[in-house]
Amino acid sequence: MTMSIRLCKQKISFQVTKIAAIYTTCLLLALIAVFMFSLISGSYQLSLVDSFFSLIQQQQWITDSQATLIIWEFRLPRSLVAIFSGALFALSGTLLQSLTRNPLADPSLVGISQGAALAVVTLTILFPDYIDDWREISAFIGAIAVAGIIQLLRGKGNSLKFILLGVGVAAFISALISTLLTYGKLQSAMSALSWLAGSTNTSNWHDVNALGSACIVLMLLAISQARTMIVISLGDEVAVGLGVNLRKTMLLQLATSVAAAAIATAIVGPLGFIGLLAPHLARKITHNGPANHLLLSTLVGAILVLSADIIGRTLFAPTQLAAGLVTSLVGAPLFAYLLIKKQF
Amino acid sequence: MKRQQWLGATGISLMCLLLIVALVIHLSIGTKVISISDILHSFYTYNEDNFDHLIIQELRLPRAMIAICVGACLAVAGALMQGVTRNPLSDPSLLGMMTGGALAVVYWSTFVTNASLIWLPVVAAVGALISASIVWNIAARTHGGITPLSLILSGAAFTAFSGALLAIHHLLDEQTFEEMRTWLVGSLLASNIETLYWCIPWIVVGLIGAIVLAPSVTALSMGEEIATGLGINIRRRKWQLLMCIVILTSAAIALAGPLGFIGLVIPHVVRFIVGADYRWIIPYSILLGAVYLLSIDSLARWLIQPQEIATGLITILMGAPLFIWLVKVKVR
Repeated sequence: MTMSIRLCKQKISFQVTKIAAIYTTCLLLALIAVFMFSLISGSYQLSLVDSFFSLIQQQQWITDSQATLIIWEFRLPRSLVAIFSGALFALSGTLLQSLTRNPLADPSLVGISQGAALAVVTLTILFPDYIDDWREISAFIGAIAVAGIIQLLRGKGNSLKFILLGVGVAAFISALISTLLTYGKLQSAMSALSWLAGSTNTSNWHDVNALGSACIVLMLLAISQARTMIVISLGDEVAVGLGVNLRKTMLLQLATSVAAAAIATAIVGPLGFIGLLAPHLARKITHNGPANHLLLSTLVGAILVLSADIIGRTLFAPTQLAAGLVTSLVGAPLFAYLLIKKQF
Repeated sequence: MKRQQWLGATGISLMCLLLIVALVIHLSIGTKVISISDILHSFYTYNEDNFDHLIIQELRLPRAMIAICVGACLAVAGALMQGVTRNPLSDPSLLGMMTGGALAVVYWSTFVTNASLIWLPVVAAVGALISASIVWNIAARTHGGITPLSLILSGAAFTAFSGALLAIHHLLDEQTFEEMRTWLVGSLLASNIETLYWCIPWIVVGLIGAIVLAPSVTALSMGEEIATGLGINIRRRKWQLLMCIVILTSAAIALAGPLGFIGLVIPHVVRFIVGADYRWIIPYSILLGAVYLLSIDSLARWLIQPQEIATGLITILMGAPLFIWLVKVKVR
């Protein structure tokens, strides 16, 4: 049983199969469950009832007077930031993998995250006064510059070259970042360092708004590209033969992917391996058309980052581990597993 | 043949000359510039009351010695690795050996109280060996077998993993972070001469092993079939060479922390000069590696006086572009 959705004179169209719809609903429910768990867990214990009622702002049912403050000021923005950034990283990874036709592409592996990181760290260290206003824009410029450099260096090479070049560029940029951290003022270096570990500690509603709107816009943009993605996966020649404007489409998808990674990186810092794992896990759940795959991947990404955040703040409480450390610890072995299992 | 040997010998003596020049420059520059005659005097007529002599003998000479040893070790380890794996992109740091060794050293110095320096190279060696075998195993199990791509990707995954472990360790234990911070980016600043004494035997064993095994590396670099045809026991030779690589790498880690990309850069430059014969590549790598790290260290001390940049950062900044270029040219 399938359902077709056609919009804008069939420019945007995709099919939703029954099985995909069921899985999407399941993942959505799982995300909500993890989200509720994220609200109640932490150094201050809240009951599920209290957090639920403070979430829907029904003051008369709440037994704990602190609940509303804690939920609305700390845990809700933090959880939402985790969800949206996970979705954005997953979106970026999915597009990048489809674009390079390489299942190992990931924004942090090919230097895009590092480009954003370099820009933000430079700004934090050299011009600390401007950091709050210019963070997102500088991250975006840094990421796009690195993506452009890799694309230029690669020339006509294959996707293997893209990844190897990315590893080299990432090493180079990491050294630059370390240099800046070592020789900047101690205070700005420390703030840059906590951001670099990939943490959701300092999230506020401004971050939530930025990430949320970016998430919606980029998601729509990506889904509008879904139909060409499936054609491109058949090979460049086939795609051109079927009437795809390859240059334009590739550029648009790359820009979407870079934008997603850049905005997420600007706010939570470089989270490793999410962009790599989410698409693979989504594909493990069910194999389906690109639009469904995008949707499932973003949901998986959101669940992954939110869970990493919960693990990070409860495992060694009261010491908080940054979510980025947890994703690297879990992601690297899974990446190795994928290396062994998949053909590339 | 005669002519070739003569040329090679001339090259070696030229390299030695270069090494001496680099050493003198390394000794003379710094916050206080010391003239060449003073340097010579500090060797021949050492005077304890002369401040310049003290600086040379107590501070700069040990550092220069460490730079020479580490440069030589890493260059040779890289050359052996590239020969054995027939992979132009091999380097101890790319295969996760550096971070693995560093991780072992950090854990060891935290959990073993009043740790003695004697065991530092051994601990680093164990860490490097374990991480190398993990990376190697992951790469070998991929579909294409061991290729530059699979090795580098599994190395990258391992590096990310151990990097996260290190970061967690720092978070939970701030004191070791303070002590280890400079060491972990690869710096010759924190090194002291005592570690060098404990590492010298290892370095000598590793370098002699490399020179002795050099002819079979040449054979191995032509392919396993050819090497077997030339009467080489491949399994045993590879095992011996791996031990050499691990010993050299871990001595370098114990002395200077993880210094990236030296093992990648030097063998390529050397091969450009002398061709593919490892009997020449190994000695040239020893000398050129020493010269390279001495010059890099001089640069690190000179660039932003009176502070200094960590040497490991400069080696990466110099090495990564070469890596990118190699990928561009060698990978099809």
